[in-house]
Amino acid sequence: MNEYDNIWLHRLKWTYLLLVVLTLMTPVMYVMYISFNANGFGANEYAFTLEFYRLIFSDELLIGALRWTLMLAVVVTMIAVPMALLAAKYYKAADNKLFPVFLLLAPLFVPPDILGSALLVFFKNLNFTFVWLGDQLGTSLFDSWFRLSFLTATIGLIIYTIPYSFVVILITMGRYRPEQTEAARACGANGWRAFWDIEFPQIRAGVFSACAFTVILVFNEYTRTSLLKGGFDTFTTVLISQMLNTGMSGQSYAMSALVSFVAIAAIGSIIIFTMLRAETLSRVARAKAEPVMS
Amino acid sequence: MSSQLTNMTDGSTFPVGSQKAPLRERLAPWAFRAPLIFMVLFFAIPMAMTVVFSVFERTMFWMEPGFTLFSYENFFFSARLTNFLNSMKYSLISVAICFVFGFPIAVFVRKSIPQVAQHRVVLLFILPFMVSEIIRVFALRPVLQRNGLINTTLLDLGIIDEPITALLYTHTGVVIGEVLSFLPFIVFSGFLAMEAVPKFIFEVCDDLGVGPWRRFKDVILPLAAPGIFAGSVFIFVNGLGVALLPNILGGAGAVNAGLIATQAITALDFPLAMAVSAIMMATLMTLLWIGHRLFDLTKILTPLS
Repeated sequence: MNEYDNIWLHRLKWTYLLLVVLTLMTPVMYVMYISFNANGFGANEYAFTLEFYRLIFSDELLIGALRWTLMLAVVVTMIAVPMALLAAKYYKAADNKLFPVFLLLAPLFVPPDILGSALLVFFKNLNFTFVWLGDQLGTSLFDSWFRLSFLTATIGLIIYTIPYSFVVILITMGRYRPEQTEAARACGANGWRAFWDIEFPQIRAGVFSACAFTVILVFNEYTRTSLLKGGFDTFTTVLISQMLNTGMSGQSYAMSALVSFVAIAAIGSIIIFTMLRAETLSRVARAKAEPVMS
Repeated sequence: MSSQLTNMTDGSTFPVGSQKAPLRERLAPWAFRAPLIFMVLFFAIPMAMTVVFSVFERTMFWMEPGFTLFSYENFFFSARLTNFLNSMKYSLISVAICFVFGFPIAVFVRKSIPQVAQHRVVLLFILPFMVSEIIRVFALRPVLQRNGLINTTLLDLGIIDEPITALLYTHTGVVIGEVLSFLPFIVFSGFLAMEAVPKFIFEVCDDLGVGPWRRFKDVILPLAAPGIFAGSVFIFVNGLGVALLPNILGGAGAVNAGLIATQAITALDFPLAMAVSAIMMATLMTLLWIGHRLFDLTKILTPLS
């Protein structure tokens, strides 16, 4: 029986799907709700306030952490997304696809604490080795290369985010026909121009989505960052240390809600943008397909 | 000369006999390999090195090269093993719940939603996933606790007389956290897996009068097995390895491999942390190898190719 023959069954399935999304979002929405309550969690009376949000932006420690987080997000995005793009192009051309895809997707399957611990010990050992090497050569040049720092956190976060960017870009690349590159090359364009002028405009949406995902993932990440960051703090490490040390305060709820608002706004924008773009493209296609009336 | 320069800046051709073009041509393949080299250096090697570091001798604050199996003894002949096996049991329960609730969504999206809208519907499941996992897990506390959202709602509706206390700081709390954290993954992997089940297969089954259960068991399940397996391994391994779930939602005895590793690092027992990481990697590799032998996991990538 066709699904659309039983419209109520179809609606029931849609309701179930939306109910699952709602269930997944309920804890986050509840936190947002509490964050605007002056009386805090569990109070009998609800009094709307923005005071907790004002406190966030007047907290020097948090502003500093926010600055570090943004810097980390920008640097990781600038490195991870081009790397994912190169990897996706390599994957498309490779004869043996198993090795690159295993290497690029495996970090998805490794839990954050395990990957973070392994990298922490690896970097500490690497740092000891470099310091020893410097001592042998009579130089202090290598001393801080792999000390836990912004660099080690960046490496850890690139490993974490690259699978997501890789998959997003690869999906977009699936719609690109390689014959277009061949045609461009036949017309005399070199590899870069064939990519930049012909291929990139068609995969741009995927690349920008990968950038958005990477920024959000870095902004949200806690475990790997806290293990690999060294001396600085990020927004989530401050938030979690506050939650663990003093419990959930009004400010903690506001901080959690703020991070969630940013992520939802970014993903919501992507969804709306892709819907509008698809609508525009289909309108153009329909206009082209209309018969010319003489 | 000027025409040669114009061509170079234009980027369309390179002058014959120039050294620049061959060098660029030679370097280009390495640029495409750079991400793989990076992943080998900073992912594959560190993960493989966990085995080496796990047999090092523990010192007061660090470790030194040597060979001892003390960390493995410390893991396998203590309560840690019981906790690890228990966390396996609860992870399997989470996988089953995620499959029951999540996979029908993937089937529905592939079967009943027009192709142009399918990706947008799947994007809905990215929405909760994009909110920080730690915030989502912390956010479960005010929902699940004694005077939380669930208990107050159920009390207000008169469904229960007393608050349910088993929802938080228990294994149940950990399972709820795992399901809410990882359910989107079974939808994503199921969605990819359902690519192997073309729409006409449903029509063939309908024409033959095959019921939904038989269609699912004999047709959908075998075809979508690689994707289902990959999604299940993801949930299972993360259930074993994400420390914050038992840390925030679990009570006494709710300890998984991730928590053991982070506790070992806090106690400066780095060889033990590396032994746990090595055991986790061995578990993951074994599962992926079995899955690949049984279902050929590369089939999941067909829609991406």
